[in-house]
Amino acid sequence: MLKKYPTVRYVLLRAIWYFLTFLVAIALNFFLPRVGSDPGDIMLAQSSVSSPEIRKQTEESLRKSFGLIVVDEQGSIKRDENGNAIKASKFSQLTNYIGQVFKGDLGTSFKNQKKVSEIIAQALPWTIALQLPAILFGWIFGNGLGALAAYRRGVFDKVIFPLALLMSSIPFFVFGMVLVYFFGIVWEIFPAVGAYALELTPGFSLDFLFSAAYHYVLPFFSIFLILAGGQAIGMRSMGIYELGTDYIKYAKWLGLKETRVLAYLFRNAMLPQLTGLALSIGQMVGGALITEMIFSYPGLGMAMLTAIQTNDYPVIQGVTLLITTSVLIANFTVDILIALLDPRVKQSLSMDSK
Amino acid sequence: MIKLLRNLIKEPMFVIGSFLFLVTIFAGLFGSSLYTASPDGMSYDAPSGDYWLGTDNLGQDYVALLLRGLQNSLFVGFMAGIIATTIGTLIGLFAGFKGGLVDDILNMITNLFIVIPSFVVLVLVSASWPQGRSLVLIAVLIGLTTWPWTARSVRAQAASIRGRDHISLARINGASNLQIIFKHILPYLASYVFMVFIMQVASGILSESAISMIGLGPIGEGSTSLGVILNTAKNNSAITYGYWWGIFPAAIVITVIVFALYLLNNSMEGVFNPRLRK
Amino acid sequence: MANILEVKDLSLHYLTRFGQKINAVTDVSFTMKQGEILGIAGESGCGKSTLVNGLMGLFIPPLYPTSGDVSVEGESLMNRTPENVRENILSQKVSMIPQGAFNALNPTRKIKDIAADVIAAHSSAKSINRHEVYARLRERFDLFGMETERILNAYPIQLTAGERQRSVIGISTLLNPKVVIADEPTSALDVTTQKVVIKMIFDLLEKNIFSTMIFITHELPLLRHVSHNIAIMYAGEFVEYGTAIQVVHDPRHPYTKALMGAMLSADSEQKSRKPTTIEGAPPSLTKKIVGCRFAERCPSARSECKQKTQDMRMVGERLVRCDYAE
Repeated sequence: MLKKYPTVRYVLLRAIWYFLTFLVAIALNFFLPRVGSDPGDIMLAQSSVSSPEIRKQTEESLRKSFGLIVVDEQGSIKRDENGNAIKASKFSQLTNYIGQVFKGDLGTSFKNQKKVSEIIAQALPWTIALQLPAILFGWIFGNGLGALAAYRRGVFDKVIFPLALLMSSIPFFVFGMVLVYFFGIVWEIFPAVGAYALELTPGFSLDFLFSAAYHYVLPFFSIFLILAGGQAIGMRSMGIYELGTDYIKYAKWLGLKETRVLAYLFRNAMLPQLTGLALSIGQMVGGALITEMIFSYPGLGMAMLTAIQTNDYPVIQGVTLLITTSVLIANFTVDILIALLDPRVKQSLSMDSK
Repeated sequence: MIKLLRNLIKEPMFVIGSFLFLVTIFAGLFGSSLYTASPDGMSYDAPSGDYWLGTDNLGQDYVALLLRGLQNSLFVGFMAGIIATTIGTLIGLFAGFKGGLVDDILNMITNLFIVIPSFVVLVLVSASWPQGRSLVLIAVLIGLTTWPWTARSVRAQAASIRGRDHISLARINGASNLQIIFKHILPYLASYVFMVFIMQVASGILSESAISMIGLGPIGEGSTSLGVILNTAKNNSAITYGYWWGIFPAAIVITVIVFALYLLNNSMEGVFNPRLRK
Repeated sequence: MANILEVKDLSLHYLTRFGQKINAVTDVSFTMKQGEILGIAGESGCGKSTLVNGLMGLFIPPLYPTSGDVSVEGESLMNRTPENVRENILSQKVSMIPQGAFNALNPTRKIKDIAADVIAAHSSAKSINRHEVYARLRERFDLFGMETERILNAYPIQLTAGERQRSVIGISTLLNPKVVIADEPTSALDVTTQKVVIKMIFDLLEKNIFSTMIFITHELPLLRHVSHNIAIMYAGEFVEYGTAIQVVHDPRHPYTKALMGAMLSADSEQKSRKPTTIEGAPPSLTKKIVGCRFAERCPSARSECKQKTQDMRMVGERLVRCDYAE
């Protein structure tokens, strides 16, 4: 089937693979928080309820919200003869959870009874606005620098390379703290925390946009610069590898313009870097979320931090599931992109389907 | 081999990297026992003759804390690195050597755990352990989530060696699969595996500091790590009040260890992988 | 007729990563007239590839000229900036057909675009008209007797080894270079494809797309068929230089003799002879070498050979770097 369209077939196969991975990710997202201890117990231990009656009620509602007990169609708890809630089997718990996830229902926060999807919907735009450009531009800038370092070598490389290596050794959030200290506290050039001045309400007013842009600078650069450093290192060694290849030598022998040779080099060294981006995007996003915490940026990172501090499991799980999902989508996109950009991959696809 | 080592020593990156690395290892191993901490002072005392790097929120001597934190961070890094490298190398070797169905299955599992962010797994499991999150637990968790990277690269290397003549020869001579893997393939990959190990140690230290920053780090007496130090300082708004000594020393120590490991890795890559030489 | 290519006492060296100087090519001299085909043969590592770079004026660190001169049509290639060489020499005056075309073509670029890049690189116009260029390419590739449209629109991986090698030859000779250097153009190919490639090269010679060629290979029998003159290279030096027939059928330098012995030849007269190996290894090129470079391995070496540096001298009608050759 679809042998005539190897690329379409490939996209479909990848889509199926990522969908299965997504199911595994949901299962992990469901079971992992139960590895150490029962989240219900942790929540209970924290609540200061003393009366056994109310305690039982709290417990049941908690267990219900976690899908730990069986619920009928109307949403009321099913009970056995003794009036105790019937415990759901692990498997039905999981299928229940998966069903909810696909309905977009990520549960309700323990703390403020808000829907998790609402909390995420509020935080997500900030995270996307911060991380997408920072990662994208950091990737482009870092790769450009790395390719130049590989191509020029000499003094340029001797400065860029150790600097990029040093930058890539600094965790995002550590660099964020350094930036906050100097630019936010000591020199007071940029605001140290938040995404906009507190007296403003988010909206499309000029004041607000200006304030948002002003608050954007430090968190953006703490992600952008560190990420660019890491990418430059990777691109440099890819570039040096490609420089030694026969097709670059031949291009030079033919007397192609330097810019053209550099374009060859960049294009081909970029392909593995693109794969690298897809594979490490999970780590980047993780690091960038922590950066949000340093700046009290109202994105997913802050939402997760608050949830962790209060053991608000539905929110933690909601955020982690969203991170995993976006990383899977990013990987899927890059897989397709590579298949379109690299004729070698394309060729191997049509060979496979023969 | 000796020639490679001699070339390595001529490499400034390697010299600087190993110097920094040895200094941090020495400080981590012996620092705590050699240094006698000053008695607790006030909260966030500025650096002085008594407290070279000031005190933390509880008035504890930062030098002593940092030495302890360095020790623990290195412990987590190395333990996680050893776990990840062992699992990853074994899986990578078998997958790359065996090929076929075994390879397909192992490769699928590896890729699965590469695309599911290890950060997420770390957060979820750590969060379910509100009590008794020891250094060992954190290290094991990191090790168990980062092995796919090693497996992936070792697999590629093993697969490229599989077809070489001396392997076929060993097979003709009746060597078993295990013998071939450990006697004929692993030695060729030794330098490579070692470089991957170095990167795993670095990423272990970074992961520990990240997980500690969100308040899911090791808890308990004496289990402070560099990440925990930074997190405590952040939670007490050390930056906002301008207590730079709460942030910078720990930040610099983390950066120096990771930088040293990266330098070692890169210089070795340059020498062991002749294409990077020029 | 004037000489197209003149090489005078050319010495080249390069530096290793740790600063060691390797004298890869020493005192190479020869001249080529229009229409001449010169074969250069020698073991791998004898300095052939370094010499090729020198003949194109490509002195990109770590390769440096030590002394001597190369000139094409009377213009010296020495003391030019890399950009000057790129603009005026490469592809136009001297062009190269590399070995192993499998990897010589950019894997992510169509043949027609690689070829268009060559035209663009040597055109004085600010921007080139793609359509005109493609038309020009089609016209040229039609000469090669290949499926022009398919080849031009293909990525390298979609072509067979032979098609790739022929595309490389087409691209290298696109601007009708004065001198073409073919560096083992057939070495990675099977016998049938080798013949196709050789035939293509001679077709181009016949069609006057280029006329002067240096053909480098370690296959002496092939050289005898394709070239007028042959130079034998050993440890960075020419050790024998003469007509193809002289060098192959009547070698005078002990190294050439040994090399002929080491060849499995299709020639009937040599069929019965078993190939012999040359014991030992060429001398290290890091320090100054005293005496004949082949002395250590030479079956007929005398005690003087190790002390006295040998010069090229006329033996009959050819040049030999051996005082005792007759």
